[in-house]
Amino acid sequence: MLSDNRIRASLQVAPLDLTKPRPEEAGDGSSSNNQTPKGESSLETSHLRSQMTPPVTPNGSQEDLSSVPAPHMPPVFHNFLRAFYPFHPSLAMADSSVTLPLDEGDVVLVHSIHTNGWADGTLLTSGARGWLPTNYCEAYEPEEMRSLLKALLNFWDLLRITTIDEDHMFQSQEFMKGLIGGVRYLLERTRCLTRESMLIKRCDPLRRCRKSLLSELSSLVKTAKQLQDLQTVAFEFPDEVNDVVDQMILKAFKVVTKGVRFLDVLDDDKRAHSSSHIINTMPPVIEEPCVPPTPPADRGAFVEQTQAVPDDRVSAAATAGDEASLASEETNAVIAHPVQPNRWSKRLSSLNAPAGTHSNRHSQASMTHVNRLSANMAHRLSLAGPSPLSRPHHLVSERLSKSHDKFLSHLGSFIGRLHLQSQSRNELAIAIKQSAISGGELMAIVDAVSTQSSSMIKALISSRDALLDRIQDLVCAARDTLANAETEGADIIMPQDNTIMLNSATSCVRAAGECVALTKGVIERSGDFELESVGNALPLDLIVLDVTATRSRTPSVAERSEAASVVTSASSPARRPSVVALDKPLPRVPGSQPDEESTPPATTPKTSRPSSVVREAVSSPASSATSVGRTLPPLPKLTTTSIPPETTDNSSAREQDLHSSFDSMAGSSAGSSTTYLSRDSEVSIVSQSSTRATTPDQTLVPRNQPSLSELSAAGSSTHTEEVDDVESKLLMKTFAHELVFNKEGQVTGGSLAALVERLTTHEATPDATFVSTFYLTFRLFATPIQLTEALIDRYEYAEESPQTSGPIRLRVYNAFKGWLESHWRDQTDRDALKLIIPFAETRLNATLPSAGSRLLELTTRVSNEGALVPRLVSSMGKTNTAIGQYVPADLPLPSSIISKGQQSALQSFKAGGASPTILDFDPLELARQLTVKQMNIFCSILPEELLASQWMKKGGADAPNVKAMSALSTDLSNMVAETILQHSELKKRAAVIKQWIKIALSFLELHNYDGLMAIICSLNSSTITRLRKTWDAISQKRKEALRNLQEIVEPAQNNKVLRTKVHDHVPPCLPFLGMYLTDLTFVDIGNPSTKRVSLGSESEVDGAGGLTVVNFDKHTKTAKIIGELQRFQIPYRLTELPDMQDWLSAQFQQIRETSQGNVQVAYYRKSLLLEPRESMTKRETAESPATATASAAGRPDIFGWITRDRVGQNSTPQA
Amino acid sequence: MPPRSPFSSPSRELHVVVLGAGGVGKSCLTAQFVHNEWIESYDPTIEDSYRTQVQVDGRQVILEILDTAGTEQFVAMRDLYMKTGQGFLLVFSITSPSSLSELENLREEIIRIKDEENVPMVIVGNKADLEDGRVIARAKGFAVSQKWGAPYYEASARTRTNVDEVFIDLCRQMLRKEDETAEPDEASKIDALKSANNKRRRRSKFRDSTHPRCVIL
Repeated sequence: MLSDNRIRASLQVAPLDLTKPRPEEAGDGSSSNNQTPKGESSLETSHLRSQMTPPVTPNGSQEDLSSVPAPHMPPVFHNFLRAFYPFHPSLAMADSSVTLPLDEGDVVLVHSIHTNGWADGTLLTSGARGWLPTNYCEAYEPEEMRSLLKALLNFWDLLRITTIDEDHMFQSQEFMKGLIGGVRYLLERTRCLTRESMLIKRCDPLRRCRKSLLSELSSLVKTAKQLQDLQTVAFEFPDEVNDVVDQMILKAFKVVTKGVRFLDVLDDDKRAHSSSHIINTMPPVIEEPCVPPTPPADRGAFVEQTQAVPDDRVSAAATAGDEASLASEETNAVIAHPVQPNRWSKRLSSLNAPAGTHSNRHSQASMTHVNRLSANMAHRLSLAGPSPLSRPHHLVSERLSKSHDKFLSHLGSFIGRLHLQSQSRNELAIAIKQSAISGGELMAIVDAVSTQSSSMIKALISSRDALLDRIQDLVCAARDTLANAETEGADIIMPQDNTIMLNSATSCVRAAGECVALTKGVIERSGDFELESVGNALPLDLIVLDVTATRSRTPSVAERSEAASVVTSASSPARRPSVVALDKPLPRVPGSQPDEESTPPATTPKTSRPSSVVREAVSSPASSATSVGRTLPPLPKLTTTSIPPETTDNSSAREQDLHSSFDSMAGSSAGSSTTYLSRDSEVSIVSQSSTRATTPDQTLVPRNQPSLSELSAAGSSTHTEEVDDVESKLLMKTFAHELVFNKEGQVTGGSLAALVERLTTHEATPDATFVSTFYLTFRLFATPIQLTEALIDRYEYAEESPQTSGPIRLRVYNAFKGWLESHWRDQTDRDALKLIIPFAETRLNATLPSAGSRLLELTTRVSNEGALVPRLVSSMGKTNTAIGQYVPADLPLPSSIISKGQQSALQSFKAGGASPTILDFDPLELARQLTVKQMNIFCSILPEELLASQWMKKGGADAPNVKAMSALSTDLSNMVAETILQHSELKKRAAVIKQWIKIALSFLELHNYDGLMAIICSLNSSTITRLRKTWDAISQKRKEALRNLQEIVEPAQNNKVLRTKVHDHVPPCLPFLGMYLTDLTFVDIGNPSTKRVSLGSESEVDGAGGLTVVNFDKHTKTAKIIGELQRFQIPYRLTELPDMQDWLSAQFQQIRETSQGNVQVAYYRKSLLLEPRESMTKRETAESPATATASAAGRPDIFGWITRDRVGQNSTPQA
Repeated sequence: MPPRSPFSSPSRELHVVVLGAGGVGKSCLTAQFVHNEWIESYDPTIEDSYRTQVQVDGRQVILEILDTAGTEQFVAMRDLYMKTGQGFLLVFSITSPSSLSELENLREEIIRIKDEENVPMVIVGNKADLEDGRVIARAKGFAVSQKWGAPYYEASARTRTNVDEVFIDLCRQMLRKEDETAEPDEASKIDALKSANNKRRRRSKFRDSTHPRCVIL
C-alpha cells in the first residue's frame, strides 16, 4: 500500500471539540473563537477550527422527520446523490471553504466519498465543488434519467481530460451525442418525446419544464458549435477554448438539472393524477414537496462575488465557487500579516504532540446508510492532498517547496507559451522574467539553507550553481530572441526561435528539481528552521527583458505572499476540503432520532482520532515538502489525504501516480496562467472545471467569466427557433447511448446500430481508424446481411430529421460504396447483395438517383468479379507516400552477386544436372533471394486471414498465405538442418554452419527477421548444437556473431528484443510473422467479444438496464496489430534471380518430400549418427550447462530419452 | 540465450512454457492466469504481458510464461521455445483425442532437448467444463500421468477451474528441482548411483508433498 504509518502518525489534526451545546456552535466564526476550548482542542486556532469543525447541523427545523426512511444504499458507489434535506453550514465564513451547502433536491455529481461519510462532489445547480454530508443525500439514479446521467459522466470525463489542441473529436460533435441521446431517452421513457404527447398537453408545468430542458440543451449545443469554430484557432486562444469548455460543462449540468426537474414535475403530476388516496400512505417527506424540490436552476448568488478577486492574484484554483474565493481571500488576509502566520505555525507545531487514542472513528458514522456508503470506497477522482491552508508558511522546507512550485509553474507557463504558434514579445518577456524571478527566490532559499547547515554543502552549492547557469542560459536565450525580434521590428516571436529557449527552460526545470531535491536532503539532515524572508538571489539584470514599462524588481513581501497564495491555491484546490474529510463527523440529519446515533459525533470528540489512510500517491510537489518534514518531530504535519482505504483497486492508485508525477510540472501551474500545459493534470482540471467557470482567471483573461446567472439568462432567452432545432435534433432517432467510449474518446463498444450510426455520422468525417477497423472486423460481430439491414435502417430513420437526413443518407451510400469497392469479400458477403440491390433500385434510387445507379453498378461488378480492388491492405497505418519515402524509386537496385560459374551451375541444374550446394553461392545473394521469396508470400497475406485465429482453424484453409509463410519458415529451418547434417565430413559441416551464420547476418542487414528467426532456431536446436566437434571447428568470432543473433530472436520478455527492433522500423523489413500471430491469438482470447453497458450508473453490475454490446475495443486492438503487420507489406527493392529462385524452390520441395513424418526426430537421429553421444564428458555446449544430467553412460537408448516405468512413483489418483 | 541457470537468478524468475496442439485452449489458460479480471481490455503486445508474480509455499516467484499460441505451424521454432523453459505445461483438450497424442511427441521433444528425464511438467486436460464432449476419459489422463510421472489436472479456462493450481504445481516442481540441483556439486559427473539417489530423494519428496498430484474437479 502506498500509505505508511509514519504518515498516518503525522495526521495530527486536533480533535474536535464538540462538547459544547449546539446552539453555541451554530454561532458565527468569531464567537467560536472566543470560547474556551477544552483539552487538546485548546490548541486550535480559529482558523483551524474552520477547517476542522464539521458543518453545523441545522437545528432550526424541529418537525418530526423520524419517519424518513433511511435510504437504502447498496454497497456501491453512486455517481449522483440527491439531497433530501437542506444543508447550510451556518458558519458560513469559516466553514464554507470546504463544504457545499445543499438545498433539498439538489443533485450532486460525486467524485469520491470519504470513509467518514463526506463526499467530494460538484453541485449541478451551481457547478460548485466541495464536501457534503452523504447522510443528507440519497443515491439518485431513476431509470428515466440513467442515460442522461451516464452521458453527463462521460461528458465530464471527456472534457476534463481531453487536451483541446490535439483532439480532433471536438471537430465532430460526437461528444454531444451522448447528452442529446440521454435527454431523448428521458423524454422517450416518460412518453414526452413529442410536443403532442398526452402528458405534455395535459400538464402545463410539465410542458414548461420540457421546454426549458430543451432550450438548455439547445444552448449547450450552440456552445459546442462555438467550440468547434474556436477549435480552428485554438492555438491562438487556448483560454477562450477553455472558457467555452467550462461553459459547456456548466450547461451540461444545467441540462441535467432541468431533466431532474422535469422528472420531478412529472412525478408530481402523475401522483396528483393517479389517485388521491395513496397520499396517506406515503412518507411525509416525499409527500411534502408539492413544490418541486429542485432548486431554481439559476441560483446565481453563488457565483456573484467572484469578480472581487484582485487582478494579480492567480488564485484561479479554488474549490467551490464563491466560497473558494472567500477562502482564498481569507488565506491572503492571513498571509498578508507577517505576524499571524507565524503565530499560527507555532500553534500548529504544538498540535503535533499528541498522538495515540485511536478509537474507532467509524463509530461516528452510526447511521446505517452512512456506514454503507463509507464502506465502499470506490471513487472516480481522488484529488485529495494536504491542505496548504493549514500549514505554516515560514518553515524553510515549506518555502522551498512553494518557491519550487512557483518556479515550475512559471516555467511551465513559459514552456506552454513556447508551444503556441506565435506570441508577442511582450508576453514572452514577462513570462521569462517571472520565471527568472521565481528562480531567484528559489535560489535564495537554497542559499539560506546552505548557510544554515553544513552537510552536503558542496553538492548543494554546485547544483545551485548549475541551476543558476541554466537560468542564465534561459535569460540570455530569451534576450537574444527578443533582441532579434526587436531589430526585425516584429512584435511576434516565431516558433522557430523557440527551440533554444525550450531547451533551456527544460534544463531549468531539471536543474531546479535536482537542486530542490538536494536541498530537501540537507534540510532533512540538519532540521527544518524558520525562514522569515527571502530575497532574490538572482545575480542577473532582468531589465533586458523589460520590453514594456514593467520594471523588474525584487518582489516585496506582499508580493511574495501573493505568490505563496498562488501556490497554495494552485497546488491543491481539492486538497483543501480534504482536511474536513479527515476527521469531520457528519452532521446529524435533523430529526433523526438521537438514540439512533450510538456515539453522536457531537459528544465524543476524543474518540475521533484521525485514522484515515493517507496515500502518498496523490502527493504533489507541495506535499512532498511535508514528507520531508515528517522526520522532524516539531513540524506540524497535516498530510491529510482523504483517500479511500486499501480496498480501492490499484488502477486508481496508478492513475493518481501518473497524475501526481505530472503534477510537478503542471499541477503547480494549474492556477497560474498556463491552461495549456495543465489540462491533463487532474489537479488542474479540478481547478478549471470547478472554478474557472465561477472564478475569473484574471491573469490572462481580463474579462468576466460568464456567471451562472448570466448563463442561465442566456439559456432562458434562447430563441424559440433554436429550441425547435434542438427539439428536432432530439426527435431524431439515435443509438448514441449504446456507444461506449474510453477516456481518449475512442469507441470501445456499441451495438451494431450504434456502430453503424457512428460509421455514418453526418457531423464530420468519421474517424479513419474506426472506419477501417469496422470494415475489417464487422464480420466478427455481424453478418453481412445484418450490416446491410442496419445501414438500410439508418437510411430510413434519417428521414425523421429533415435537416440531417441528406448528409446521413449520403454517408449510408458511401458506407455501402466503401464496402463494395474495397472491402468486399465475395465468399461471405454475397448474400447481402439480395438486400443491397433492391435497396439501391428503390429506396436509394428514389432519393439519390445517381447514387442508386452507381451502387447498382457496383453490385453487378461485385457479383461478377468478386472483389473489385485487389485488396492488398486496408488503409490503416499505410500510405502510398510511405513507400516512396522509404524506398526511393530512382534508387538503383543493388546489383546481384552471382558469377558466371554460379549462373551456369544453376543452368545445368535446371537442365537436370547436379545441384549446386548453398556453399556455392554468395551468402548475401542467397539471403536476398530467400528474402524475396518470403516477402512475396508475406505481401499477399490478406487481413481477413488474420482475424479470429483463422489460420488455426480448418488446417489453415482460409488462411493460405499465413500457412504458406509458416511453411516456408519451417522449410528454411529444415534446410539449415538438412544441409548441415548431410555431410559426414566434419569440416564440411562446419563450413555449412559458417555459411548459414553468414546468411543470417545478411538477413539482419536486410531486416528480414522472419528468415533470421528460422535460421537461428535451427542452428540453435539441440540437433545442431550437440555437434560439439563440428562447433569446435568454427571460429570464436563467428560463434560470437551467432550469439548476438540469438539474442535478437530470444523470446524472453515477450520477444522484447525483436519487438524493439521492429517497432518504428521503416520498411522494407520482414518482421517475424509468428509474433503477430501470437498477439492476435491473445487479443482474440483475452478479450471477450461483447461487453455489457449499463445505461445507468457504473455501479450497476448486471441490472435490468444493461445492454450487451459489441466489444469494439477488441476489434480495434486486432485491427491495430493487423495494421502494424500491413505496414511491412512493402516489397524489397531487390532483383529477383529466377534461376536461383527455381533452385531454392526445388531444394525446399526436396526437403519437404524427404522429411515426411517427424522430421525433427529424423534430424536428431542423423545428428546422433554423425557424432555419437559422448560418455558423459563435460559438455560445453553453451546452451545446457546444468541440464546434462539424466543420460547415464551405457544406456542403449540412442535418443537419450528413456521411458522409465514410473508405476509406484505416483500418488494414487483421486477420483 | 542459454536457459537461465538456476543459480544466477536471485529474483527467482522461472520460465514456463505452455505447449499443446492448436485449439486446445492452452492460451486461454495462460490468458486467464496472467490476466487480472479487473483489467477491462487485455493487451498482449506489451513487455510484461506474460510475466506474473506468484507466491508458492511462501516464496515469491516471478513466472515468465512463454506461450507461442498461434505459431503451432512453426514447427522448427519449438526447439528454441523449449530450450528457454524450465517447466512445461502440457495441455490437451479432453474433447480431442489427437491433442493428447500430440502431447506424447511434445514430451519426447522436451526430454530430448532438455536431455534429461527429470523435467518439471504438468499435464492439463483442458475444457473440463465440456463434459458432454469428453472423449478422453479421466482414467486415460491418469494413465498418462503415471506413465510420464507428471501430475494430471483437469482444468477449465472458461470457468477458471484449476487454472492457478496447474501453474502453482509447476512452480513447486521447478523450485524443488532448483533446490535439488543446488545441493549436489554440479560439476560432478552424474553416474548411475547419483541419479538413483536423486530419484530416491525425489520420490520421498513427492510422497511428502501435501498437494495432490492428480486433481479432479
